[in-house]
Amino acid sequence: MRILIVGAGKVGKTLAENLTNEAHDVVIIDNDEDVLHRCEDLYDVMVVEGNGANAQTLIDAGAAHADILIAATAGDEINMLCCLIGKRLGAKYCIARIRDPKYNESLTLLQHELGIDLAVNPERATALEINKLLRFPFASNIESFAKGLIEMVEFRAQPKDPVTGCMLRDVPTRLPGLPRVLFAAVERGGQVSIPTGDFTIQAGDRVYVAGDQIAITNFFRYMGRDTHPVKNVMILGGGRISYYLARMITPLGMHVTMIEIDPDKATLLSEDLPHVNVLLGDGTNQELLEQEGLQNMDAFITLCNRDEENLMTGLYASTQGVPKVIVKNNRVNYADVINRMGLDTIISPRQITGAYILRYVRARIGGHGTKVEKLYRLIDGKAEALEFIAREGEKYIGVPLKDLKMRENTLVAVIARRGKVIVPFGNDHIESGDSVIIITCEAGLGDLNEVIRT
Amino acid sequence: MNKKLVFRMLGTILVIEAICMLPAFIIGWAHGDERRDVLALLLSALICLVVGLPMHLLEKPQTSNLRAKEGFMIVTLSWMVMSLFGALPFMLSGFIPNFFDAFFESVSGFTTTGATVLTADQFEGVMPFGIGFWRAFTHWIGGMGVLVLSLALLPKLTGRSAHLVRAESPGPSLSKIAPKMTDSSKILYIVYSALTLMEFISLMLCGLSPYDAALHAVSNAGTGGFSNHAASIAYYDSPAVEIVITVFMTLFSINLALYYSIVTGRWRDFTKSEELKWFLCMFGGSALLIACIIAAPAHGGNFGDALRHSFFNVATTMSTTGFTIDAYTTDLWPIAARAIILCLMFCGACVGSTAGGMKTMRIALLLKQSKREIGRTFNPRRVQRVRFEGRGIDETMLHQVAVFAFVYVLLVLLGGLLISFEGKFDLIDNFTASLTCVSNIGPCFGAGASGFSEFGSFSKAVMSILMLAGRLELFPILAFFHRDAWRKI
Repeated sequence: MRILIVGAGKVGKTLAENLTNEAHDVVIIDNDEDVLHRCEDLYDVMVVEGNGANAQTLIDAGAAHADILIAATAGDEINMLCCLIGKRLGAKYCIARIRDPKYNESLTLLQHELGIDLAVNPERATALEINKLLRFPFASNIESFAKGLIEMVEFRAQPKDPVTGCMLRDVPTRLPGLPRVLFAAVERGGQVSIPTGDFTIQAGDRVYVAGDQIAITNFFRYMGRDTHPVKNVMILGGGRISYYLARMITPLGMHVTMIEIDPDKATLLSEDLPHVNVLLGDGTNQELLEQEGLQNMDAFITLCNRDEENLMTGLYASTQGVPKVIVKNNRVNYADVINRMGLDTIISPRQITGAYILRYVRARIGGHGTKVEKLYRLIDGKAEALEFIAREGEKYIGVPLKDLKMRENTLVAVIARRGKVIVPFGNDHIESGDSVIIITCEAGLGDLNEVIRT
Repeated sequence: MNKKLVFRMLGTILVIEAICMLPAFIIGWAHGDERRDVLALLLSALICLVVGLPMHLLEKPQTSNLRAKEGFMIVTLSWMVMSLFGALPFMLSGFIPNFFDAFFESVSGFTTTGATVLTADQFEGVMPFGIGFWRAFTHWIGGMGVLVLSLALLPKLTGRSAHLVRAESPGPSLSKIAPKMTDSSKILYIVYSALTLMEFISLMLCGLSPYDAALHAVSNAGTGGFSNHAASIAYYDSPAVEIVITVFMTLFSINLALYYSIVTGRWRDFTKSEELKWFLCMFGGSALLIACIIAAPAHGGNFGDALRHSFFNVATTMSTTGFTIDAYTTDLWPIAARAIILCLMFCGACVGSTAGGMKTMRIALLLKQSKREIGRTFNPRRVQRVRFEGRGIDETMLHQVAVFAFVYVLLVLLGGLLISFEGKFDLIDNFTASLTCVSNIGPCFGAGASGFSEFGSFSKAVMSILMLAGRLELFPILAFFHRDAWRKI
């Protein structure tokens, strides 16, 4: 597919990297020549210098036969204009990043007129992600599939966990009371593997388990993890993510303390968020944190602009015994280092936004087989979970899984059928209409037929 | 440095070279060459394969991501290795037994220079068909670049291929015609092959034998200049052949991407190309001027003949091909006409063509920049951006172009100086020999007009480096001798 990316910022580059890896034709438009040179060196893309909201630039970049146009410049207005012009020129689908809440409200009216097929708000998407994590504090990462029927949850194996040191084949016999969940993927020392029966989980592994909500909750209860809901939340920084997040979680009965360093911003926040305890001060100051009761918090979320401040404060909070620490980190290359320091819940807005757009792009890939419904990137993008809806008449329908030839490093994790969740074994099969969730270490799969070869 | 990746790429290049030797082998075999000459080509291909295939298959680099340094090292090394192995057929067949001579001939082939060490009596009836075709075919491979070819053939070869292509393809900036480097390379090679085929057919229609037509088509496509006749194009003594060759030399001087825009219906790109206008003005202007100068003394006042000859010679110089129909370097031409040719030897043709030289775009940028600096003497506060192809040019690029021009001249002078140490020829001979090598043209004034056989081994070694430097646009080769290239990082 031919994809135009306007704006080579953080999100633009993440998208360019992923889309070129999946062998799409990518054209990047930006008005900064230096940035374009760097993109050209790093990714196999064509670059066009110019303003993306200029019709001639878009024509030069080939908007007329573009399948998808992604407007990800810093300005919401420019992004809207890009989509408007791009659509007129003949781009099939247009995606715009729109972050101002004010525009979001009017967007419902204008979306069609502007030719925007998908509006992405990175801050809101990030807030949603954090919201999900707060509802399941025992997990460092949660993805839901099949309209929320299936949850896939990441946790870090501790030495005292019952499953640690146990071969997966022996788990049912040695731990009879353990709810049946699927061990979908394990990361150890930067390497991702999809575990088979003779795999042994070790302390320190990042493990993904999948199953229905109740099974997952019971699983963690059995493991002795705290499954109590979060009540008190402290948020560092009063940016847009904090704003969206506070609006999402206060109605759920969580008590939010927000620390902001800028007086004007703090005043505005206190106006907009009457139920939030807005504090004026430097959130990296340990004394201030202690006085505001850091030790009594159930969750601590750092959303400052600087990654380093987020990391250090997050580390401090976790040494102070806060059970759930969520750290925002925009530079993905730090992820390995941070994990080794013991912080396992890291949020990266650019990755969340990238994954969100990528999911949309994947679903638009032509072809007539079984298309991807949803895509989640696990373990910093080293593995992917894909959701497909099995369709009538495909070759794999009704064949027991053990007779299907699977691609290497790929696993049929869970099947959801008519509201029931099946953790499949060799004798189970796929029926038409099933939601099938696949875990894979390969990027770029777009069709269930590519995964399963009969 | 990621040595494994460099080795792997070198292996790939050798495998491709082995495959490229096969057409010459088949042609030699079909024309009934001596057994030794045919076997020499087959054996060379096998040697390339035996050395290259293990390197290609066994070296498994951990990451296929190229950094700038690896990109440049791969390009420089692969051109050296390619030339080295390309000399094997000459040596194994005993056609050019001396190593320096064979290497010079091979470098001259791949860099599309077309300067030969052969003497006039080594051509007619002596040169084996297979070896002769291989000689010309190296032009075709070198014209567009073997790494570009490898990207077209093996899409998943490496990540971040921009560094490779940037170092190999001529011009100050990298321009892609398709989002994917692989597609871009493929399109260019298709255009290249199509034009070559057109020339082959045209030459056949002019009455050349299939072998001669194919040989001159591939030689011309790469803007090389090797011929299987000592007298080059003059051998045919046919205005039709001369005109066809002139037209195709001009066509191959133009950015190949522009032909693609014609095919895709974007005529505007072609007609609006500023570089093309500059090129055509320079080309037409000097050809007409030369025609006026030489009409009386060399052609007895026949202006039509003078035009044909002047266009041919301007085309052969600007396209840096180096076919000859009359020795413009002899006293037959007035000194003014020869001086124009000498100036044109610096210019070269358009960016993105197979020609060598400094490239019209750089010349245009230098002229515009000079004009701006001159204007600034009266108006020191004036801010003015240099524009080219309808857009403002970055100061960094202007700076690079200026340095390039300086280094270019410096290299020509240095080369001439080194050649002079052998003390065999005249000043003008030595310096134009150096210039013709750096610009990848082929013939030069004076002694080298008919061939480079009389230069010594030292001069040939120097000239081989000059040719490589010229083909890769100086910096990859010069960077190779920079001490940072050999640091471990």
